Amino acid sequence: MTAPTPSRTYDLSFARYVYDHIDGGQRLKLCMQCGACSGSCPIGTQMDHGPRKLFMMIRAGMKEAVLTSNTIWNCVSCYNCVVRCPRQVPITYILHDLSALAIEEGYAEAKKADNARFAKAFWWSATVFGRTDERLVTARYYFSSGLGEGIKKGMANQAIALAMVKTKRMHLGMPHKVKGVGELKAIVAKAAEIQARHGKEG
Amino acid sequence: MNPKPQSQTVLVVGGGIGGISAALEAAETGCEVVLIEKGPSLGGRVAALNRYFPKMCHPTCGLEINFQRIKRNPRLKVFTMSEVTAITGGPGNFKATIVTRPRYVKPNCTACGDCAKVATSEVADAFNYGLGTVKAAYLPHAMAFPMRYVLAPEVAGTPEGQSIKAACKVGAIDLDEQPTHFDLSVGAVIWATGWQPYPATNLTAYRYDALADVITNVEMERLAAHDGPTKGQILRRSDGTPAKKVALIQCAGSRDLNHLPYCSRICCLASMKHALYVREQHPDAQVDIYYIDIRAHDKLEAFYRKLKADGQVRWLKSKPARIEPGADGRPVVCGENTLTREVYAEPYDLVVLATGMQPSAKPPMETAMDDYGFVVGHEGGVIGAGVATGPLDVSMSVQSATAAALGAVQAVRR
Ligand SMILES: Cc1cc2nc3c(=O)[nH]c(=O)nc-3n(C[C@H](O)[C@H](O)[C@H](O)COP(=O)(O)OP(=O)(O)OC[C@H]3O[C@@H](n4cnc5c(N)ncnc54)[C@H](O)[C@@H]3O)c2cc1C
Ligand code: SF4
Ligand code: SF4
Repeated sequence: MTAPTPSRTYDLSFARYVYDHIDGGQRLKLCMQCGACSGSCPIGTQMDHGPRKLFMMIRAGMKEAVLTSNTIWNCVSCYNCVVRCPRQVPITYILHDLSALAIEEGYAEAKKADNARFAKAFWWSATVFGRTDERLVTARYYFSSGLGEGIKKGMANQAIALAMVKTKRMHLGMPHKVKGVGELKAIVAKAAEIQARHGKEG
Repeated sequence: MNPKPQSQTVLVVGGGIGGISAALEAAETGCEVVLIEKGPSLGGRVAALNRYFPKMCHPTCGLEINFQRIKRNPRLKVFTMSEVTAITGGPGNFKATIVTRPRYVKPNCTACGDCAKVATSEVADAFNYGLGTVKAAYLPHAMAFPMRYVLAPEVAGTPEGQSIKAACKVGAIDLDEQPTHFDLSVGAVIWATGWQPYPATNLTAYRYDALADVITNVEMERLAAHDGPTKGQILRRSDGTPAKKVALIQCAGSRDLNHLPYCSRICCLASMKHALYVREQHPDAQVDIYYIDIRAHDKLEAFYRKLKADGQVRWLKSKPARIEPGADGRPVVCGENTLTREVYAEPYDLVVLATGMQPSAKPPMETAMDDYGFVVGHEGGVIGAGVATGPLDVSMSVQSATAAALGAVQAVRR
């Protein structure tokens, strides 16, 4: 019998990229695969991999599987895992920055990731008005999957919308804005500039 | 050339297995040795173990031999109920200040126990980690050395104290005893104050405070001991029924940057020993060991392999995320099995947290210590021995004590 020739070689380039360019990536090196994070997650059962396994996949160089995973999108930012992680890995930051990378590199679009579209609608409202306008965020999110789909979703959720208006959870009319939207835009632009610079420098 | 030592006496602080070994080794080479112990008896944490690995012998066997050696050696003087409050000087010429708390019972005590019979109040049982109470006049434990009763300070000035005094036929009780201070001139100091368990209350996700059936590994030793609060029966703290489905949780506070960053080294073995305690009591018992990775150091690997052959012991590679109260009141261990990726929630009769060891006391003089408070090196200062130098088991503690004794002997014999 001849010894098998492995079909894949161990390639660290993706892991190195994550360590150097993803927010909190340097601490990822300390992960000891204990599972406290995936066990702490309130929606851990609804994640395909959970943070622990995802981190191992990063080390194994499984870029595509990582960036198309629902784990990076389903994180609800409860920080349960972060406070319990024995190696102080900033898990929440890492998941969020991986989702940004997934959008940037087209993996979110390819997967038609719902959460990615919702996040974009949310960000749009936050940067344009300085507030989240429930009605506009929802509308933008619904219609992001096409006109027909948007109308269908809107109709299906009419009752909820009316109830929200009645209890003043959603308002009609002009969207509320913060004072000094111009300054807000300047802040966001500066942040984007810093991020771009940081990305280049590593 | 260093100046000649001013004193040839060796001071050993801490009367656990580390301190006892160091004191004996030094005394048996002919040095004068003073051994200072904070508690009422010698033996330290080892005395409170049920049995000890790797041979699963009773700690009294190992300690008894040493107590005989102490009794035979006129050069070794033991002071219990004592602490060192200050140390000045350096090798060859230290000055140490010692404070002795009142025990209220003189050396002529015959340990007949008449005082305990008339005592009416109870105090927390320190030897059993507070799992029960003892009479206010008590023997620290059945095999205590010195074999002498102690009176709790709470009753010394009360009418109860008077009746306890009256009950003693040999007149050993002295209610007027006061703390005493004395200074010692010594040529070397061995620091062997050992460890204390990492507080389980800090591990908030494990609910040690709220759930009676979540206990620590040191409490498990007492539950399993024949002279412990349950006479050796491993019973649930909540309702006193036998614990037949038991979870052992490794690295509870160790290897955790939020708690003790280092591996406490002995808790994997201690938990395997606890699995044996449970399995020996009930042929149908199930024990689940939750671990990050098992660290059965050097020669103790064999102990691990033997336990692996027991089909009723399951090994779950997972650091549990939290413990919750179940609907039936049983603790439920929750987490992710990292080999199967299953997210589990498993109820148990009893959950034992394998809490780690942290240093118990700092020398009262400038001493080189590592980031965690363990004594390192001894250039110009005290010499560490036992767990005061790092997390060690008994045999490693004795080795380090022997090395410390040699360092001390060299310092006073220059
Ligand atoms: C759950 C558990 C189970 C274990 N089981 C085993 C086992 O089966 N086998 C094994 O080999 N090891 C075992 N160990 C490890 C073992 O307990 C230690 O190796 C041993 O206790 C070390 O002895 P020591 O003398 O260094 O410290 P200690 O036993 O802590 O003794 C220190 C002594 O110093 C005294 N002291 C403290 N502060 C002062 C002060 N300021 N002044 C004067 N005196 C002071 C204390 O009262 C105590 O008597 C176990 C540990 C744990 C946590
Ligand atoms: S809790 Fe921290 S160390 Fe443990 S698997 Fe998750 S990220 Fe890694
Ligand atoms: S000995 Fe085992 S349980 Fe203790 S800290 Fe080390 S790995 Fe964890």
